[in-house]
Amino acid sequence: MSYDERVNAHPNLGDESDVEEEALVNDYREQVNFEDGMSELDRTTSLGGASQTQDLQAQLAAAATPLEYQATLETKFASYDNYCSLFHYILNSDGPVDLEVPSYYWAWDVIDEFIYQFESFCRYRNRVARSGSNEEEAQLLRENPNTWGCYSVLNVLYSLIQKSQINEQLAAMKRGEDPLAFAGEYGSRPLYKMLGYFSIIGLLRVHCLLGDFSLALKTLDDIEMNKKAMFARVMAAHFTTYYYVGFSYMMMRRYGDAIRMFSHILVYVSRTKNFQKGGNSYDAIAKKNDQMYALIAICVALHPTRLDDTIHSALREKYGEQLNRLQRGGPDALPLFEELFRSACPKFINPTPPDFDNPPINVDPVDHHTAIFMDEVKNTLYNPTIRSYLKLYTTMDLKKLAGFLEVEPEKLRSWLLINKQRSRQIRWVENGLLGGETVSANDLDYALEKDLIHVSETKAGRRLVDWYLRNLARVY
Amino acid sequence: MVVAFDSCETRPAGIDAILSGLDRYNPETTTVFQDYIVQQCEDRTFDCYANLALLKLYQFNPHLLQPEIATNILVKALTVFPSPAFSLCLSLLPAYTQPFPSESESQSAQTSDFVESVQKLAHLSSLLESAQYAQFWSTLNSDDLYADLVADVAGFEELVRIRIAVEVGKAFREINADILEQWLDLRNREALEKFVIEVCSWEVENSANGTVIRVPTNKENEARSEVKSERVDFDMFGRVIRRGFEQAA
Repeated sequence: MSYDERVNAHPNLGDESDVEEEALVNDYREQVNFEDGMSELDRTTSLGGASQTQDLQAQLAAAATPLEYQATLETKFASYDNYCSLFHYILNSDGPVDLEVPSYYWAWDVIDEFIYQFESFCRYRNRVARSGSNEEEAQLLRENPNTWGCYSVLNVLYSLIQKSQINEQLAAMKRGEDPLAFAGEYGSRPLYKMLGYFSIIGLLRVHCLLGDFSLALKTLDDIEMNKKAMFARVMAAHFTTYYYVGFSYMMMRRYGDAIRMFSHILVYVSRTKNFQKGGNSYDAIAKKNDQMYALIAICVALHPTRLDDTIHSALREKYGEQLNRLQRGGPDALPLFEELFRSACPKFINPTPPDFDNPPINVDPVDHHTAIFMDEVKNTLYNPTIRSYLKLYTTMDLKKLAGFLEVEPEKLRSWLLINKQRSRQIRWVENGLLGGETVSANDLDYALEKDLIHVSETKAGRRLVDWYLRNLARVY
Repeated sequence: MVVAFDSCETRPAGIDAILSGLDRYNPETTTVFQDYIVQQCEDRTFDCYANLALLKLYQFNPHLLQPEIATNILVKALTVFPSPAFSLCLSLLPAYTQPFPSESESQSAQTSDFVESVQKLAHLSSLLESAQYAQFWSTLNSDDLYADLVADVAGFEELVRIRIAVEVGKAFREINADILEQWLDLRNREALEKFVIEVCSWEVENSANGTVIRVPTNKENEARSEVKSERVDFDMFGRVIRRGFEQAA
C-alpha cells in the first residue's frame, strides 16, 4: 500500500476526539463572547482611582502593546526600563499588589510581548554588529550591554514562576489535589497565577530561541499537554506552546512526537477558524499556521507516518508539489528542505552582546541552527530511495541493488545502516515531555546475511472497528 | 523501557541538585560542571543533560568559555552516536564556530584554533552519523590534531568501536570479516577475533571463502514479518452505548 492509500484508508482517524473537540470549540466561542463582557466591566470599575493608579494603568497597557515596527533604539531602551519597573513593582512590593488588569488576556500579552521585544532586540543588535554600517547605533549598543540582558529576562520569568508557586500548584493539580493549598499568598491571586503560568510558556520559548531544546521541553514538566490545560484558554498561548514544543521535538530528532504536536494544534485551529476571523491576532496565527504546515512537511518526509485526514489534505493543498519532492529525497530535495526550514523556524537569537569591532564574526544564529539541522538532513537523504526499493523485494542481493542504484556496495551498506538507525525513534509515552521509549517507526525492516538483504514488512491488519461502528450508527 | 533525556544513572546528587535549581545559571557553578566533564572523560560515562547546562553557561558568559572543555564535551558526544547529542551541543556553541562551513565560508573566515577544532569534530560526527565508518577511522588517523582532540577522553577509540559494533549487530546476521575489519579499524585478524568474541560475544566462522562473523539473533536483526492487529478499546464503543441508553430513556 502506498502512503496515500494508507492515509485515505482511514478517513475518520480524528473522530475519537470529536466530543472533546466540540466541547473546546464551544468553550472558545464562550471566551470570545466573554471578552466583550469583560471590557464592559472594566469601564465601570476603575473610576476614581488616584493619578498614581492611572500611571500604572498606562504602564500596564503599554507592557502588553507591541512597539511600532520602526521604533528607535531609544524607544526600545525605554520599553525595557518600563518592563523593569513594572516587574519590580509586581515582584518586590510589600506583599502582593492589587492590580486591575486591563483584560483577561493581559498576563499572556505581557509575557508574549516582553519576550518578543527581547528577541527582536537581540536580533537587531546582532544585525547592527554584522553589517557594521551604523556606527552611531553600534556605539549606543556598546554602552548599554545590559539592556535586554539574558540574565534579567530569565530572572523576571523565573521570579514570576517562583512567586506564584505555579509549579507546586500544577503538580498538586496533577495529583488531583486542590492547588490553592499550595498557592501561597501570591499564587492564590489570579494576577500572579496567570503571570507565573505564562512565564513557564515564555521560558519554553526563550530556551528554544537560544537553541536549548532539551531544557525547553524540560520547563513544561508540570504542564500536561492536553486540551484542558490552562494555556488552551488563550488561543495565542495555546498555539505558541504547541509550536515551540513541536519544534523542540523536531530538533531532538523525535519527528513522530513533533508531528503529533503540530497536528494537534492545526486540527484545533482548523475547527475554530470561523470564530477567529476578524480577531486582531488572526494574521499572526495564519502565519504560524503556515509555518507549522511547512514543519510537518519536513517531519513527514524524514519520518513517513500516517497523518490526520484534515492535516493531510491541507498539507497537499499548501505544499503538494514540494511535499512530493521532499518525500522523494536525494540531493535535489536539499535546497527545499533548507528553504522550508528557514521560513518556519523560530527567530533564533544570540543572548550576549556581539563583537562590534569584528563584523563577520557575528553569524546570524538562524544560519547556525539551519546548518546543524541540514547536516542531519544530508546524512539521511537516501532513506526514501532505500525504502522505495526494498518495498519491492523479500530478499535482495546487496551488490545487485547497488548496481540498480549505481553506487558502490560500501555506500549502500552505509545507507542501509542509516535507514535502520533512523527508523528507531524515541516516542513519548507519559509524564515529562523529555521521556519516551524507543519504537520502530517504520513498517519496513530488514537484516543482512553477508550480502543478502532479508526484507520484512509489518502489515496492518484489517481494521474492523471503524467499519462496525459506522454501520452500527447508521442502522441504529 | 522509558528513558528520560534529563536523567543519568551515573550523575552525582550534587550535580542533580544544581541542574534542577536556578544554580544552573550561576557562573560560579561553571567549575563544578567542568570538573564533572573531566570526570566523565576519565571514567567513560556520559551525561548529556549536564554537559548542555555547562555549554549554556558558556553561552551566557562567553568570557568563561574554555575551548578544551567545550571540545571535550563534543568528543564525548561523539561516543554516543547515533543520537542527537552532538547536534544539541553544537546548537549551544557560539554561531561563529560555523561547524559546517560552506566552501566560501571556510576560505574567507579567519579561524581560531577553537573554530578549527569544532569544525573538525563536526566532520567526524557527520561521518559517524552517516555510517561511513571506514572513512571515520581514516580521517581520525590522518591528522595529529585529531589525536590531540580525543586525547583527554579515556578509551575514545574503544567506545566508538563498541558503538559501531552495536549498530552492526542490529542490522547484520552475518558479516564478512574483511568489512568489519575496516569498520572497526582492527587491521589485525587476531585483534578482530578477540574483539568480536570477547566484547560482543559473536561467533567466528572460518571457511574456504574467507572468515565470516556471525551475530546471534537479537530483537533488531531478526526482521520478522508481522501483522499488526487492531487495538480495540472499550472507550471506542462509548458513543454507541451512550446512544443506546439515550434512546431507551
